[in-house]
Amino acid sequence: MNGDVGRTGMAQSILREISLALSVLAATGTRDAIDLRSLPLTLADREELEAALGRGDVGVVLEAAGKSEIWETRFTGVWWLRHFGGDGRVAAEVIEVTPVPDILSAHPEDISAAATRMAAELEEREHV
Amino acid sequence: MSETGTIGEALIAQGISRRSLLKYTGYLASILALPPMASRAMADALASAKRQSVIWLSFQECTGCTESLTRSFNPTIEDMIFNLISLDYQETLMASAGTAAEGAMQAARTANKGKYVLVVDGSVSTGAGGVYSTNAGKSNLETLKEVAADAMAVLSVGTCAAFGGIPMAKPNPTGAVPVSEIITDKPVINISGCPPIPEAIAGTVAYIITFGKLPDLDHLNRPKAFFGDSIHDRCYRRPFYDKGQFAKSFDDEGARNGWCLYEVGCKGPVTYNACATLKWNGGVSFPIQSGHGCLGCSEPGFWDRGGFYKPLSAAVMGNREIIGGAAVAGVAAGAASVALARKRRAAALAAQAAASAAVVTQEKTP
Amino acid sequence: MTLLDFARGPALTFAMAVFVLGVLWRLISLLGLPWASDKTARRIGAPSDVKAAITGFVRHMWVPKAMGQTSTFAMINGYIFHLGLAIIVFGFAQHILVLQGLFGVHWPGLPTSVISVAAIVTLASLVAALVRRVTSPVMRLISTVNDYFTWAITTAPVLTGLLAVSHLGARYETLLAIHMLTIAALLIWFPFGKLMHAFLVFLTRAETGISYGRRGVKI
Repeated sequence: MNGDVGRTGMAQSILREISLALSVLAATGTRDAIDLRSLPLTLADREELEAALGRGDVGVVLEAAGKSEIWETRFTGVWWLRHFGGDGRVAAEVIEVTPVPDILSAHPEDISAAATRMAAELEEREHV
Repeated sequence: MSETGTIGEALIAQGISRRSLLKYTGYLASILALPPMASRAMADALASAKRQSVIWLSFQECTGCTESLTRSFNPTIEDMIFNLISLDYQETLMASAGTAAEGAMQAARTANKGKYVLVVDGSVSTGAGGVYSTNAGKSNLETLKEVAADAMAVLSVGTCAAFGGIPMAKPNPTGAVPVSEIITDKPVINISGCPPIPEAIAGTVAYIITFGKLPDLDHLNRPKAFFGDSIHDRCYRRPFYDKGQFAKSFDDEGARNGWCLYEVGCKGPVTYNACATLKWNGGVSFPIQSGHGCLGCSEPGFWDRGGFYKPLSAAVMGNREIIGGAAVAGVAAGAASVALARKRRAAALAAQAAASAAVVTQEKTP
Repeated sequence: MTLLDFARGPALTFAMAVFVLGVLWRLISLLGLPWASDKTARRIGAPSDVKAAITGFVRHMWVPKAMGQTSTFAMINGYIFHLGLAIIVFGFAQHILVLQGLFGVHWPGLPTSVISVAAIVTLASLVAALVRRVTSPVMRLISTVNDYFTWAITTAPVLTGLLAVSHLGARYETLLAIHMLTIAALLIWFPFGKLMHAFLVFLTRAETGISYGRRGVKI
């Protein structure tokens, strides 16, 4: 018993919102995001939304503080981000309308930390 | 021990990428009902913030609140909270004991004077000077006053700390009171629930660290992000309530059909918490979804409200003795009025008879 | 103790006690009064007292056309809000629970939407009754504080109940507490004001019926 009562029409509303956000991104470059977790979606709504958006060119599995699945939908610039918590359940789920989701780009601080670490490792190898 | 570096530095030192932080702030934005686009700014703010020193004191409690927060053993998104805070003292979790443990607390208090967050679970015993609950030779009352004095804010975690809880239930033998009754000169945030939702505890702490201020609170000092809606308002069984379809018992047709549990005592309409949206055990279920009405555990006095299975609309003290007594009194008052009226009438008739007799006598004696 | 706890507990208990005490007191003292015997001669062919009483009650359920349109309006309007109140009190699941708690019997409730419509119609009807009372010169002349107060104390629970169901104006627990307190006020006022007609209507109509039947007055 999970309270699912079939489709409520919520998926259609979200699709319209995404469509609008995508037009704005195309015209002005302004990015947007929709938090799916805070919306009252039934299982059927979620399936309807996922089917309507489909899968596009990119699919990523991210391992950072647990697993995440990220894919670009068949509409370029519309990304689905699904973050898993403990026990394989979905902890957060967001649709991002952006050229590339922030979480995929390496952060400058991580890059400089990696540069330092790599140089140090090479140095260490030379000494050995 | 508190570290001096920023959270960003600490994460790099532990080999945790900024992606993890970004993922966590996205998750936080979701549970705090903030716009999802805020997650990047939150991640930047957290990376440059210092780890928040937290001192956790446990008083008259059952450790359920600590269990609630630490229930997960896998390194997951929810555990990121422990990278944001420096839990300097927590009796249940800390490895050290005795004077070493007390020493750790003193050190944290001195190093972060006026900056640490004090988390309290459990109510404070005030009866007989607080001797009902002591630790390290000190009463909880004494410890609370002392440690709260240098805290930035106090987080009352769980209904015991927030509103007194089960220890305060009648007849309250230990003189238990909520933390807010002792600490009146500092912000006290209540995160009620028996136990509170772990996301509500972690989310509130994360909010304080990220934004450097306290979240918006309701009239009972609970964060509105988690306590803004009633269970009833967000309940998936609400359509059955509106249609007037109610389960009459826990094993009837209505119960099996998943109808509204109002008639079997659900307190959802007067209970403010996020159970219906965040749910429990990582979003698996919550009491109503599991077929039991809401007990109202995040509300003050839920323990003394006249029966968990009594419907909300039913009067709780519709005492038969009192109503019966009133009926007897009513009958007696009615009978007395009748007796009085009859007596008056008899007296009036007698007076009339006497008067007419007098007239007859007068006529007879010219 | 919160306002809701006060309303659910001591306030309603006290109000119910006053209601029971007051109603029994008034009914017993009224019925136990010494009756003046009717010394007039019974007309030939007069119906029995019981028959006359029943006829009196039934015939007073409508007003003859001859009494004019405003009387007809008042009668129909009266039926509307009385029927509306009955639907709300006996048809709303939450109210049935209260009655079940008091008397142990229960019956299926109506959908909340039906009750809401009934409550809105009842409220409109009550407002119409008040408008008629203040606009008609005759009604105004014979209206006392008792009438206006009784109107207010009848309307208040309907209004507060509607607000509570639709979560308007305040938090639900506050609205529910206020609603329960208005019921408590109604119960306390009931035996001592015009609301007592709920019991006395049977006595007055029967008595009038008997008296008219004996004398042959057409009703």
